[in-house]
Amino acid sequence: MGSFFVQRLAQTIVVVLAAALVSFALFRYVGDPVNNMVGQAATLADREAMRRTLGLDDPVILQFLHFLRDILSGDLGVSYRFGVPVGRLLLERFPATLELSLCAMLVATALGIPLGVWSALHRRSVASHVLMMLSLVGVALPTFLIGIVLILIFSVWLGWLPSFGRGTTIAFGGWTTGFLTPGGLKALILPSLTLGLFQMTLILRLVRAEMLDVLRADYIKFARARGLTDRAVYYRHALKNTLVPVITIIGLQFGNVFAFSIIVETVFQWPGLGLLVIQSIQFADVPLLAAYLVMIALGFALVNLAVDLLYAAIDPRVRTGMVQARVRA
Amino acid sequence: MSMEHIAPKRVVAPERWWDGDLAYDFRHSPVAIIALLVTVLLVAAAAGAPWIAPYDVMDPANANVIDARLPPGSLGMMGQHYLLGTDPQGRDMLSAVIFGLRTSLYVGGVSVMLAALVGIVLGLIAGYHGGVFDALIMRIADIQSSFPAILIALLIDGVSRTLMDRSAHDALATTVLIVAIAASFWVQYARTVRGLVLIERDKDYVLAAKVTGIGPLRIVFQHIRPNVLGPVLVIATINLALAILTEATLSFLGVGVPPTTPSLGSLVRVGNEFLFSGDWWISVIPGAVLVLLSLAVNLLGDWLRDALNPRLSG
Repeated sequence: MGSFFVQRLAQTIVVVLAAALVSFALFRYVGDPVNNMVGQAATLADREAMRRTLGLDDPVILQFLHFLRDILSGDLGVSYRFGVPVGRLLLERFPATLELSLCAMLVATALGIPLGVWSALHRRSVASHVLMMLSLVGVALPTFLIGIVLILIFSVWLGWLPSFGRGTTIAFGGWTTGFLTPGGLKALILPSLTLGLFQMTLILRLVRAEMLDVLRADYIKFARARGLTDRAVYYRHALKNTLVPVITIIGLQFGNVFAFSIIVETVFQWPGLGLLVIQSIQFADVPLLAAYLVMIALGFALVNLAVDLLYAAIDPRVRTGMVQARVRA
Repeated sequence: MSMEHIAPKRVVAPERWWDGDLAYDFRHSPVAIIALLVTVLLVAAAAGAPWIAPYDVMDPANANVIDARLPPGSLGMMGQHYLLGTDPQGRDMLSAVIFGLRTSLYVGGVSVMLAALVGIVLGLIAGYHGGVFDALIMRIADIQSSFPAILIALLIDGVSRTLMDRSAHDALATTVLIVAIAASFWVQYARTVRGLVLIERDKDYVLAAKVTGIGPLRIVFQHIRPNVLGPVLVIATINLALAILTEATLSFLGVGVPPTTPSLGSLVRVGNEFLFSGDWWISVIPGAVLVLLSLAVNLLGDWLRDALNPRLSG
């Protein structure tokens, strides 16, 4: 356990340092930082002074160390496009993305688990086959297209739901939420459905496969032999054991939801982190992109570290590779 | 123990392929037949785009602003037939979709081949050689697979975009896109091949090859490689669908192919701006073709996986 921990921790640090190095290289070598900071009227001497105060004449290693120190102290530079500190910008946009991701996961689990259980229990029925076919189509549907079709139907043709933005939001200190106003909730529906649909098909298939597996197990036969009702066998014995890997996958899928929120946010002009990063790529907003890179690496590395350690603590046999292989199969 | 277990592996000659298990399975799977038919049709349309498409979309002479955004089945100013309508520049949608299909299949196909090539070579060497190289490659694979593929492709593309100036990037955009997608997909091949090599490595035929004095490179690439390619084919087929979707997604987000090149994704992107004018066909038609393609390839991959999986047969 000790060496496993050290190894995983080292891996995490390497990932974050690698991301920091890329983002440092972006900062340092894309365009001239001095040009971006001084005005048109600056003299050559001004520029030299600026170079010195910025530490651009120091050895590269030292500059990188300074860069790391700045990141750690939360100083991520100023966005070229917005002229605002990047850290503040990211914090401002974060609630929108988090609320969207949470709602999408909620949609996916609330629909995926019952449908999966149902289709495992009625696996020979026509409806179950149709459901499995539809879930195959769901895998082939690109997220952005789901969004466009939903907008076309519910916003353009029916006019029921808004197609862009967060609606009315209420602010609590630094946090803005759309959960508390009818407009905000309405605005959440289409983006959450779009983002959650793919995850739903994934959960549905996993629950079905696990449930079918569990139902073949000896202890289920034994439970039947004891004369328990179907209901008790299915829901008290089978479902409980099915849910262990499902909960793990839901946790692991959060990273994917986060990545795909970039697409959904672009389709729905949702003012979150994803829309911000796409725009920063299109406008070559280097500080923003660099900060996003470090933030993503740090976030994913920490989550993965936590998941791995949790696994090792709970069940030494379980390795993420094995669990992921089951989902893909 | 039954005879089948000790019988030597049957070698299927090309002319006897039709009688083989795979072909038998194929002939009895209507889904696979339809999926292959659709895939072949779409690939043929893409390959023959310059001859099949009614108009050459790359030729500005075929863009008539007066004919812009005509619904499907309209007639143009000069009496042109627009079976699927026109786009905002007055180009024939059908032609645009066929050329877009060409770009999407090209980018998807080349990136999958590149990813497979890199993954197979690294997996073969890592599995056979072991040691530090193996540990290094597998660590990188571990790390990379903890990030979603689409995020990696997006960031590689995004970073390269900020590194180059705009005109240089537009010229290289398609290549960058292919590399970005390939870089996000190689892990699966490397892992699978490595795992299979670990099994093959200790088999008698490898030992026999070693005894006869054949070098390690030749053993790996000539003797072991053919025995690990089955699963690679399955991954490649399923990955092709994923790569096509990734290309479409990145192009839709505006960070894929240059804006002047029609791809299924960039066509949907253009159409998206006119959704609220009710001009649904500009985005829905290329989108539908994209879904058809990805669904057909996906189903083909699923069938191939099941057909090649000995655990599922019988």
